[in-house]
Amino acid sequence: MNAAAETAPRTWRSGELAIVLLLPIALINAIGFILPVLNLARYSFNQSTAGGGIADVFTWENWTGLLRDPFYLELIFNSVWISLAITLTTLVVSYPIALYLHRSTGSWKTFLTVLVISPLLTSAVVRTYGWIALLTDNGPVLSFLRYVGLPAPSLMFNIKGVFIGLTEILMPYMILALMAGFGRLDPRVEEAARTLGATPSRTFWKIILPLTLPGIALGCLLCFVLAVSSFITPKLMGGGRVFLLATEIYDQAIVTLNWPLASTLSILVLIVFGAALWAYSVVLRRLD
Amino acid sequence: MTVSTAKEDHLRLENIGVSFGSVNVIPSLDLSVRKGEMVAFLGPSGCGKTTTLRMIAGLITPSHGRIHVGGRDITALPIHDRDMGMVFQSYALFPHMDVSRNVQFGLKMRNLAAGEIAARTKAALDMVQLGHLAGRKPKELSGGQQQRVALARALVIQPSILLLDEPLSNLDAKLRDEMRVQIRALQQASGITAVFVTHDQVEALSMCDRIVVMRNGRVEQFGTPTEIYEKPATAFVANFVGRTNRLKGTVDAQGNLSAAGQQLTSSAKLEPGKVEVLVRPHRIAMQPAGAGKAAEGGNLVQGEIASVTFIGDLVQYGVRVGGDEIMIEEATRRCAPPFAAGDTVSLAWSAGDTLIYPDKDQ
Repeated sequence: MNAAAETAPRTWRSGELAIVLLLPIALINAIGFILPVLNLARYSFNQSTAGGGIADVFTWENWTGLLRDPFYLELIFNSVWISLAITLTTLVVSYPIALYLHRSTGSWKTFLTVLVISPLLTSAVVRTYGWIALLTDNGPVLSFLRYVGLPAPSLMFNIKGVFIGLTEILMPYMILALMAGFGRLDPRVEEAARTLGATPSRTFWKIILPLTLPGIALGCLLCFVLAVSSFITPKLMGGGRVFLLATEIYDQAIVTLNWPLASTLSILVLIVFGAALWAYSVVLRRLD
Repeated sequence: MTVSTAKEDHLRLENIGVSFGSVNVIPSLDLSVRKGEMVAFLGPSGCGKTTTLRMIAGLITPSHGRIHVGGRDITALPIHDRDMGMVFQSYALFPHMDVSRNVQFGLKMRNLAAGEIAARTKAALDMVQLGHLAGRKPKELSGGQQQRVALARALVIQPSILLLDEPLSNLDAKLRDEMRVQIRALQQASGITAVFVTHDQVEALSMCDRIVVMRNGRVEQFGTPTEIYEKPATAFVANFVGRTNRLKGTVDAQGNLSAAGQQLTSSAKLEPGKVEVLVRPHRIAMQPAGAGKAAEGGNLVQGEIASVTFIGDLVQYGVRVGGDEIMIEEATRRCAPPFAAGDTVSLAWSAGDTLIYPDKDQ
């Protein structure tokens, strides 16, 4: 005891301290994320055998087959395209809300923020069933459209329903990301533009929009990734008739038991995410 | 109001007022600013000076009253049609644009020809000596340079009025002195009408043709710097602009003034009752006791030095007279202050320097 007290307290150099502090999370990440992904990558070069088995041989056929099959090419293209469209729609409907929230103050702002976040407190499954109840053929939305004499296309078990459901489910993420990126928006700068002769709409296009681009980029990255990987909503609202990357991975892994193909599709999704992240960093660098 | 003064007035506020919720920030204000004149709105924070400026710019809608510029009623005009050049306290430069695009902005909003935009932008940047930094982003500039960009951006549109909202308060003292001179020179060279909001009396006195001293949303006094300093209309103005000694006094039925246990003279009109007696510290001449002589009809009192404060260019003495302490300021002429604490001295000042105001606290 005494001897320990007499030795000078060990001083950490900042580099050492950083390593020690980062070690736990690095370990968790390695075991929980990096190893499974490497394993997944390995599966994608294995062969699937009848009855859901995996033959531990090296083969390119999952990848070559995937990229030659028109069904999968269309699936990939559709998934990316629909996710981009959903992201854009989410951005357009979320932006005014985020801007309003950014400008409100006090308890009104707190109340509105809670309102925006509250959907995240219920699971996507519950919210998807909510949308199913609303959009089903005899549901309130279509009944109303028929009542006022507008065309009432079926919104369930097709891509339209998935589109509507996912847009709403992703809105809180988009709003929060936008608000996080609105820091550079100084009301004085808007006022300066107005005094210099800019109309409200020109102030928006020349000042507000450019200054909020970091938030837009962040929100779009987040929502695109979430849209591509969304599974519950397309599964439930698509009714097995909407084919997207995430639902296909589920089918291959759980129904068909073709794990090598499911792995290949999963890695492909990771590559798409990598591309999205790269695009995001390019945009951010251009903005700076 | 006669036609001739209406012609001369460039900016006219008529019974203008604003309330935020239940708070009546500015009850009613009437003001006229002449063409080519630089007027300061001076007052403590919360006096309504910035609010008034923002109403002129259109950033705040008045609850009542009219605003006229050049004989035209602009009260209902939207901000972007008002043709005001405003310099913000934080400069409010566009962070995503370089210096030259910041300055161009107002010209582009006026849809001018590209050639004219380029020429006027260059001229404006040369005017503030920033031509060599045209390609820099605002964050790559020092505070003083940002300030000059903001000034160029506001002046390049040749606005009908230049509005300056505490433009110097974010600069360090030395730069502030330089910018004070530069802003005034630019304003006079362009002959532009300017309104300058400040809480700094030195800025107001040194830069502006006339000063509006404001308090609680009301005008306390509107006059030239000399009038404001030499003939403050109220005790508040005398206290806010420049330093002053403030004594409680009385005027008896015969019109005799006394304060600090002394009989005093003043050239002000004396009404019997309680009064406040104000004397500027540097208007008091201090001499060793007995050596002082009162000027004709002036004041002469004896006191004892209680404190000596050396400020560099000035020495401040606190002199106990009766039950009060009177502050005296003398320019330093020698290395050591000639008087020390405990010295008895005589103080002399003229009747004209004795300012008298009715005591509102009685």
